[in-house]
Amino acid sequence: MKAFFRVLSAERLKMSKSYLWLIVLASPVLAALIGMLVSSELAEWPLLLGGMSLFHAMLFLPVMTGLFSSFICRYEHTGGGWKSLLALPVSRTAVYLAKFTVVICLLALTQILLLGAILITGRIIHISSPIPWHMLLQSILGGWVACLPLAALQMFASLRWASFAAPLVVNVIFTIPNILITNSATYGPYYPWAQPFLAMMPKGMNGYDFGAFNLPFESLMITVLGGFVLFFASGLVYFNRKEV
Amino acid sequence: MNEFVIRTHNLTKKYHDRAAVNSLNLSIGRGEIYGFLGPNGAGKTTTIRMLLGLIRPTSGKVEIFGKDLQKDRLNILKKVGSLVEYPSYYGHLSAVENLEAIRRILNLPKSRIAEVLDIVSLTKEARRSVKGYSLGMKQRLGIASALLGSPELLILDEPTNGLDPSGIQEIRELIKRMPKEHGITVLVSSHLLSEVELMAGSVGIIAQGRMVFQDTIEHLQHQASSTIEMTVSEPEAAVWIARDSGLTGQLQEGRIHFDGLSNTQVAGLVRRLVENKHDIYRVEEKRKSLEDIFMQIVGTGGSL
Repeated sequence: MKAFFRVLSAERLKMSKSYLWLIVLASPVLAALIGMLVSSELAEWPLLLGGMSLFHAMLFLPVMTGLFSSFICRYEHTGGGWKSLLALPVSRTAVYLAKFTVVICLLALTQILLLGAILITGRIIHISSPIPWHMLLQSILGGWVACLPLAALQMFASLRWASFAAPLVVNVIFTIPNILITNSATYGPYYPWAQPFLAMMPKGMNGYDFGAFNLPFESLMITVLGGFVLFFASGLVYFNRKEV
Repeated sequence: MNEFVIRTHNLTKKYHDRAAVNSLNLSIGRGEIYGFLGPNGAGKTTTIRMLLGLIRPTSGKVEIFGKDLQKDRLNILKKVGSLVEYPSYYGHLSAVENLEAIRRILNLPKSRIAEVLDIVSLTKEARRSVKGYSLGMKQRLGIASALLGSPELLILDEPTNGLDPSGIQEIRELIKRMPKEHGITVLVSSHLLSEVELMAGSVGIIAQGRMVFQDTIEHLQHQASSTIEMTVSEPEAAVWIARDSGLTGQLQEGRIHFDGLSNTQVAGLVRRLVENKHDIYRVEEKRKSLEDIFMQIVGTGGSL
């Protein structure tokens, strides 16, 4: 456990001087712009949340998940970094956990910023009704949890391929069909790239009552956690056996 | 010398039935500088990766500090510093920050960073980002990272690869100081014997995954078969006289070369030549250079 925190602190240092924080900011800022542009029609909280998180959840969040995973492995892939890192007296499990933790912390930060953006936009466009905390938090937190399987899957891919771009391209290719796949109540919930989208859109929102959006939040979360355990364990086993 | 820091027992690594490393028995004593030599692709890096637990051997065992690597990996690695293939660094960070990342993992006092920077003479450049470093400086930073945890064993894979002569000299002086000043045992690999012979006490030579020679540098020199070279007044006639007494000499540029003559054979030949009124100007013993021996042992005529 101590080893984990030591590696985590080293990982944080490596990330600290990169421009990754700009990417963390990008999606919430964009969402805020969308929220303000179409504000007149969205003067209700569920509509604002749905409008602001649409592109974020459908597109940016899965793409960012892949980007963070690739980024956290990038420095090690260039110039024999895995060899020097893993020749240090730390277990591979500690390294894997630390890297994964950085990825999900960055995702959590994005979600918190989005929540902030929604609240501020709501204030600016004068929504009079009380803030529906339960709905907002379920969407923000649920979106974050729904990113976990994808984050684990992308970590696996990023560890597997030394290329920085390859896992990213694959990730984008799988993200694009999201809008189609969510139409299917059968397959949508199992598609890791669509899970954040399904989790974030407010239930019963006008226009989002088709296909997989009708699924109860709880059963989606069960699928998400099952997928997460599967991908996370596979990645961890792979990394522990990897020839460096 | 009785205490071994590294010992391997029939260490083998196979990739699809091809043995990259084949039944290797390495033994390195405490306080030694051990030169691990071989042509590119002979299995040096594969061996080093097994020594650090980065890959699993197909069969055989690695013992470091008398402990089994497979069972005690983390405890062993606490006392090992390494630099494998390239110095790894985070280009966007400075030397201090690079070392800080490792320091956090190793849980050492902050003062260690200044100490190792001083050892490799990087103190002045320490705040610059590593991207702008020369290869020699990066290599020194790599050694600094390897030294950070005050290791008892330093494993350096081709630390002089790609450096200019002055860079090579610097690294060599740095390595030579390790056993004396810090009591560190050093394993240094190279594909050039000339780079290692000036610092190493012992050498292991590996070719096609097998250890073909392992002993001190002095013993390696003794392996050299010597040639006797004679300069005489009438070389052609002298060759015939030599042949008459059962010795075959080759005439080259007016000098006669004999392979592997004993002292008595030399004395007998000289006496006969003098008796036959030859003037003898020079009798010299020519030893093969270490590089020649290396080539001979490794068995590749071409470049390494």
